[in-house]
Amino acid sequence: MTLDSTKAKLEEKIPINWSRIPWWAIILAMVGLVIGISILTSETYLKVIRFVGVGMGLTLRVTVISYGIALIVGLFLGLMRVSDNPIFYAFSTLYVEVMRGLPILVIILYTGFVIVPKLRGWTGLNLQGLPAAILGLAVGYAAYVAEVFRGGIESIERGQMEAARSLGMSYVEAMRHIILPQAVRRVLPPLGNNFVAMLKDSSLISVIALEDLLQRGRLYVSRTYRAFEGYNTVALLYLVMTLGLSLVVRYIERRSQID
Amino acid sequence: MTEEPIIQIQNVSKNFGKIQAVNDVTLDVHVGEVVVIIGPSGGGKSTLLRCINRLEVVDQGDIIVDGVSVKNTKKINRVREEIGMVFQLFNLFPHLTALENIVLAQHIVRKRKKKESEEIAHFQLNKVGIGEKWDAYPSQLSGGQQQRVAIARALAMDPKIMLFDEPTSALDPEMIKGVLDVMLDLAEEGMTMVVVSHEMGFVRAAADRIAFLDFGELVELTTPEKLFTNPGTERTREFLSQILH
Repeated sequence: MTLDSTKAKLEEKIPINWSRIPWWAIILAMVGLVIGISILTSETYLKVIRFVGVGMGLTLRVTVISYGIALIVGLFLGLMRVSDNPIFYAFSTLYVEVMRGLPILVIILYTGFVIVPKLRGWTGLNLQGLPAAILGLAVGYAAYVAEVFRGGIESIERGQMEAARSLGMSYVEAMRHIILPQAVRRVLPPLGNNFVAMLKDSSLISVIALEDLLQRGRLYVSRTYRAFEGYNTVALLYLVMTLGLSLVVRYIERRSQID
Repeated sequence: MTEEPIIQIQNVSKNFGKIQAVNDVTLDVHVGEVVVIIGPSGGGKSTLLRCINRLEVVDQGDIIVDGVSVKNTKKINRVREEIGMVFQLFNLFPHLTALENIVLAQHIVRKRKKKESEEIAHFQLNKVGIGEKWDAYPSQLSGGQQQRVAIARALAMDPKIMLFDEPTSALDPEMIKGVLDVMLDLAEEGMTMVVVSHEMGFVRAAADRIAFLDFGELVELTTPEKLFTNPGTERTREFLSQILH
């Protein structure tokens, strides 16, 4: 096949496949629209959204920062898990097994009420509040991210490493230039799903009294006793964020399937 | 030949668990020589070849390549720089174009400038007859074209030795000739080559010596003339009667 004909094939319009249209998203969007209109025309809900919505900023900030840290730490842990070095392998395996064996809520409580106060006592470093929450989420999720990277690296055919090494590249050079660029492309979808999962799990930081989306909702309910409106709003705002992100993940997934 | 052999395989054995893949093989390859390894599948041909650049670690014995033992793990990357390897399944880097496949190692390992390594890459691609495909990705190339890019990639490193591990056995019949022609040209230029292949046309035209490997043992080391006219052992004769029809 010539290059030109391949290109032409790629550029050809794909016919609409009715079964592949995300009907669930369309139905959801319409239901959302109806709810949205009824909320936006209601004085009470506008008030709730104004009060509760303040927490969205914190939720997003915590999620983005924590996941950024988890990606970096997880990448190195994943590399250590495929390493021949027995110390690296043992350390990362221990880390992954322990962290995956603990509920995220426990990790957050532990960092918030055990590690951070102790650290403060020993070194004077105060990580109370937001840093403690970010630390807890990042430390916990690094284990899941590490497993994703490990799977991605192991999914690359052995011949790739052999070809790179037989050209004289070192293990690190081969990993960096040959294995990782391919592995990262393959793990983008699961990494995206983990990001959405972390966004939801970030609601757990409300236990250390940070005013994220959920905590703002709880504050509203405890002040007004309007649980119905309060938690409706919390749920709706979480859905807006997670569904939006899911669509982005699906888009990335489809893009990576074309390769 | 008075010159020291560039590859000295000395009493090499290699096991995979209980299976003895290579059993006490001794073989020298001299500069400019083309040695073809033949034998039934599972006979240890590929394993022996892969031991030469330490893709497999020898259990017993040693292999000296250009004066350096492959057991010297500190110098193994230097040894590998001098050995080009071509695989059965090409093993091109799918995320890079043909040109980038050839440029990358030159840049990283040989420390060549971008412009220089690109010129060499274009030169090698032209040499293997697919100069116009330089910006195609491996998935856009036929098997034969991919294998020729893989050969160009290895040659761009200016290796002293080329290893070929069944380079045509994953190719469609009509693609084989193009790859074999490239290998014949290389042999004529005086490249030192160790080739695992059953292409008897290539054996006739290019092989200086032939090693027949069966059950991991070097059963016979002979020349093409002798192999086809008067094989030395019963096992060799039997094998030849099965592949020559």
